[in-house]
Amino acid sequence: MSLLTEQLKGFGITFRTMLRKPITLGYPENKTPVFPRFRGRHRLWQYEDGLEKCVGCSLCVAACPADCIRVVAEDNTEEHRVSAGERFARIYEINMARCIFCGYCEVACPFDAITLEHSYELSERERSSLIYTKDMLLAEHPKQVPLRTEGQRV
Amino acid sequence: MADYARVDLDAENQVTFELNGRQVSAPAGTMLVDACYAHGVEVPIFCYEPRIGPPVGACRMCLVEVEGMRGLQTACSTPVRPDMVVRTDSPAAKDGQEGVLEILLMNHPLDCPVCDKGGECPLQDRSFKFGGGKSRFFEGKRHFPKPLELSSRIALDQERCISCFRCVRFSQEVAQDGQLTMQERGVQSQITTFSGDAYEDRFTGNIIDVCPVGALTSIPYRFVARPWDITNTPSVCGLCPVGCNTELTLRDGDVKRVTGRPDPNYEVEEGWLCDVGRWGFDGDGGITRLTRAIVRDANGERHTDLTDAVAAATVALRGASKPVGVLLGATATVEEAAIALELAGGALAGARVARLGIPAAPLAALRATPRAQLDEIERADLVAVVGGDPGLAQPITELRMRKAVLRNGARLVTIGSRPGTLADVATHVHAAPGALTAAVAELAAQIGATGRPVVLWDEAELAAEPAAAEALAEAVSANGATRQIELGADVNGAGLRALGIPATGLLEALEAGELGALLTVRADPRSAPGRVAWEAALEGDVPVVALATHADRTTDAATVVIPVQSLLEQEGTLVSMTGRAQRVRRGAEGPAGAAPGWEVLIALGHHLGAPPAYRTASAALAAAGGRYAGIEGLTYDAMGVGGVELPRPAADHLAADAGPARAAGSDGLALVATRDVYGGREASRAPALAAFHAPAAATVSPATAAALDVTDADTVTLTSPYGAASLPVRIVDGLSDDAVFVTLGTADAAAEALMPPDRGPVRVGVSVEARR
Repeated sequence: MSLLTEQLKGFGITFRTMLRKPITLGYPENKTPVFPRFRGRHRLWQYEDGLEKCVGCSLCVAACPADCIRVVAEDNTEEHRVSAGERFARIYEINMARCIFCGYCEVACPFDAITLEHSYELSERERSSLIYTKDMLLAEHPKQVPLRTEGQRV
Repeated sequence: MADYARVDLDAENQVTFELNGRQVSAPAGTMLVDACYAHGVEVPIFCYEPRIGPPVGACRMCLVEVEGMRGLQTACSTPVRPDMVVRTDSPAAKDGQEGVLEILLMNHPLDCPVCDKGGECPLQDRSFKFGGGKSRFFEGKRHFPKPLELSSRIALDQERCISCFRCVRFSQEVAQDGQLTMQERGVQSQITTFSGDAYEDRFTGNIIDVCPVGALTSIPYRFVARPWDITNTPSVCGLCPVGCNTELTLRDGDVKRVTGRPDPNYEVEEGWLCDVGRWGFDGDGGITRLTRAIVRDANGERHTDLTDAVAAATVALRGASKPVGVLLGATATVEEAAIALELAGGALAGARVARLGIPAAPLAALRATPRAQLDEIERADLVAVVGGDPGLAQPITELRMRKAVLRNGARLVTIGSRPGTLADVATHVHAAPGALTAAVAELAAQIGATGRPVVLWDEAELAAEPAAAEALAEAVSANGATRQIELGADVNGAGLRALGIPATGLLEALEAGELGALLTVRADPRSAPGRVAWEAALEGDVPVVALATHADRTTDAATVVIPVQSLLEQEGTLVSMTGRAQRVRRGAEGPAGAAPGWEVLIALGHHLGAPPAYRTASAALAAAGGRYAGIEGLTYDAMGVGGVELPRPAADHLAADAGPARAAGSDGLALVATRDVYGGREASRAPALAAFHAPAAATVSPATAAALDVTDADTVTLTSPYGAASLPVRIVDGLSDDAVFVTLGTADAAAEALMPPDRGPVRVGVSVEARR
């Protein structure tokens, strides 16, 4: 092939692409939508009556390959009932700096008390802020991200 | 726990049989489960526990196929026979095992996530390994109220019980307290006490260890940690001189639980623990724990850090123009004692080193006679206990003696002033305090007529009666087969004696004004026997440097108090009453303001200008092992996990370590200072042991009470030549008349006030103080 045809072919790609919509997003104004099964920040769940689903069994701790979860359990009492079972998690902490978002905790949980949600905007200015406490995990993450709809391409 | 019995494959009379197509052998009489396990084939079990007793075949888990026998056989109750053909992995055996597990799991709740046993549960493990994987049972399970408090320390969850009878058999056959039983039948079966009351006794915690499911769990450990949250450290109990091997469960730098070792030391505790050993750790970090160093000087009292305190201690010890005294308490480790001796040889040249304990000379001849470890009790045909009440003072020995009687038909004789806890299985020969010699002579005749006698003798009571000790030494050595076991009084008494440290001399020197300062290591002379004399001797301006874990009478008055780590927190070596050197390992982190005792002593050496040549506990012990004949060659490696037996002391060991010979006189009542770990200081600190907490009392027999005209509502004042104490009266049957029994080691140290510092015999006058 001659030099000219090669150049024409190359410029052809350039001009064709110039007319297309760019793939890059204007983050953070625009956020990448995630797949429904995307594993992001954890969430602890409660029943409708307010009791926590977590019974502090520590199975997530056993499953965690990064050793980033710490659970300290305690007895439920008549006056102070936190979970539906005999025990509840007095301390439930996840060290987000260590978490590898493998989702094993979610798989291990016998009560569906912990799930991995879609939020991925987790950066902080200090390491200590990356240790999420139970109160933080029970609440929805303030920075939500859009979900990818069926067949959507970005 | 130790589920399978040990099998000696080299023993005589081996029986050869076929196991899963292999030709194997085991000694005749071995149960199939044990023989299989010895040859690497695990037959699942739940109810079988060789330490508890003969098999009962209650759980049916160990089904195996034996050719020629109809149906499947329980391997736990089938002894090996020559040429039998056993299959543990045939379809029939597998089907049987899966079927049993399915039935066991029918009513077992699947609440493993909230169950404390989850993760270390034999039922979980064996369901996983031997179970069918699914259940055909979809009906509702049985329900009981849960959890119930079986006692203040044990939670019972009846739904989880698989009726293996291990706990009932422990209660009936090992502890023999006769309290636990199975009530109702079928699915309604439930564990309970006969009376329905709480299961309160001295060895109850062991039923938690033997329970193969989560039906019995520890209340203090309830929901504290899961098995993957913890690390386990093998250690040794430092609460009595038996030296039971324990396992510390650690989480977040703290001891959360103490259990028997999964691989028991059969020469010591056989995997059992008394309740004080199991839950006594609970009191280690209580409010009396010293967390910061204290320095008291002309400017008053100030809290300070360790470096400053060691500097202040150096000033106090160096400032003395006269030699320094070093007093080692009963729980001072071998390392600490060895470093103290080195300081006395160099940095504190001329220092006088002594231990708080019982003088060794009167007992040296007896200690030199052939000694046994506790497992020898099982093989004896005559077990004699001379003095003391081992069930309270050295608790685990009681279980061995009960085993010897119930399972091996040994004869048990107790000699002394009180029948004690073994009264239901022993023949009690009464000997009033001071009259042991005659009873020992009688025993000597019986020993001569038996094949394998074992004599257990109480250190404290025989030291007070040297003639009886001598007679016993003769009786033991006369028959070549006789073995003796010392029922020691001090936790590490044997270790301190092995280094040649006497119990006498220091107080006398202090009283004579020969000492310029006193350094105490885990010692509280102001609460020790003869404490009135100690208090008087320390009244002057003798500066005291106290290394202690908890606040006590000595630290309350000492010039410098340096907090040291407890035996749950630091490295060390303890020598048990049977002469076993065993390692204490670092478990908990302890208070930030405390350091290991050996480290403080090494630091003192550095400050005093004569630094020892080592920096670690291990090197300190190795150095001492090269210097003192009593612990020759002792190192951490030599001790390993199970400890090592030290050589017996010679008959002339510590010959000068004797109190003055004297008679107790005849006025008043004889004082018997009893030892009771359940009523001691360590137990009283532990909230988990609240059920044992009882106030000190002057205990007398009904006849003595009548003679004194007192009832158990009265308070009496006891007066001896050494001190006085005021105590409530308690009346107990079966005690020696003409004697008053007072427990040592209680918070008010009443018995200690009445005793002479050399622990010799003493009589007390009694006057009624208050009537109710």
